[in-house]
Amino acid sequence: MRARQLGLTGCATCGLLQKLPAQGHGHCPRCGSAVRLRKTDSLRVTWALLITAIIAYLPANLYPVMTVVSLGRTQSDTIVSGVYYLLVHGDWPLALIVFVASVLVPLLKIAALLYLLLSVQRRSAWRKAQRTRLYRLIELVGRWSMVDIFVVALLAALVHAGALATILPGPGALAFTAVVILSMLAALSFDPRLIWDHEESHARA
Amino acid sequence: MSSAPTFDVTDRERIACHECDALQQLPVLLPGQTARCGVCHAKLLRIPPGGLDRPLALFSAALILLLLANSFPFMLLDIQGRQAFTTIFGASQALYEADMGGLAVAVFITSILAPTLLITSSLYVLLSIRFNLYLPGTRLALSWISHLQPWGMLDVFMLGVLVAFVKLGNMASMHMGVSLFAYIGLIGVSAAASSSFEPGYLWRRLDRHRWKSDAR
Repeated sequence: MRARQLGLTGCATCGLLQKLPAQGHGHCPRCGSAVRLRKTDSLRVTWALLITAIIAYLPANLYPVMTVVSLGRTQSDTIVSGVYYLLVHGDWPLALIVFVASVLVPLLKIAALLYLLLSVQRRSAWRKAQRTRLYRLIELVGRWSMVDIFVVALLAALVHAGALATILPGPGALAFTAVVILSMLAALSFDPRLIWDHEESHARA
Repeated sequence: MSSAPTFDVTDRERIACHECDALQQLPVLLPGQTARCGVCHAKLLRIPPGGLDRPLALFSAALILLLLANSFPFMLLDIQGRQAFTTIFGASQALYEADMGGLAVAVFITSILAPTLLITSSLYVLLSIRFNLYLPGTRLALSWISHLQPWGMLDVFMLGVLVAFVKLGNMASMHMGVSLFAYIGLIGVSAAASSSFEPGYLWRRLDRHRWKSDAR
């Protein structure tokens, strides 16, 4: 039995199970936040945020995230060349972690959200529990992609203070931050209950 | 809003999974036990061991460490006799000075503002419930804590510090500042604190207070 079939819903903020008013939305008696059957316009909002994130993904990887000017030499690093630098000069475990956080995670997150959106729209009944688990995973790991931005900020702060060189954050850093934040918002606006909702709509039809 | 709940009392023992909407009865849980959804295995409710005293102690420690971590030099750098240092705030400031205002705001929110709000509002809620004070805004604070959680990125920032050490290590000699030691402690303490802080459990503690409208 699913809550929707009884006109019940769990509050998105505090989880309290409650009967929805006739107009379909109300306020939670326990925490006071707005309560709806499903997140508002979940699919449309998620699509909009995801598509914007995909567009921002190109400049995020093509433009440098930082430029180092030292003794008249200028060197620019993109996200990927930054990982390569770590692999050559640092140690490979750290390079691997950064590769996963800043290259693999954004790509997989975008792909997973695309898949979840399309499968919900196709009313797929395939592996619903695993798809829900996939959603849980991408909700958890997305924030780690911010690591490269923190690195650029820390390097710029230290090197600026030391005046031994200049490290400037590049346009890629702005685009990359946009990708991370937009894809986090996209994951938050996706309602995983939609994966399971097709059952009753089939039953009703 | 001061309305009493408009549903049956037995409804309160039932729960709809927030990920798959499956309606189910919550089992009776002992401290340390977790109830999971029978359909999709999402976490429904966990009763943290140690009641409210453990998160209260841990969040108090986290607040002290947070203040220390933000008050002293964080990373120091030595190159050819020159010295330089930065604080945590310095990271946002450097971005702002490089005409990257939007980026500076994002880094400030995730590295300082969100963690500070999370720690202080968790303390506020815990004090309010633990000592039966039911301070104004308790419910509001508990509501926003769960929405704020993904934006506090203390742990991600720490990974950034590690990478920065390696990247500049070839160029200059790097040292850990006083604040970095506090920060490493903060990572551990705040991880333990948030795992002992269960909003679902706190909401039920508030329920026991009979929907007092002044507790909102």
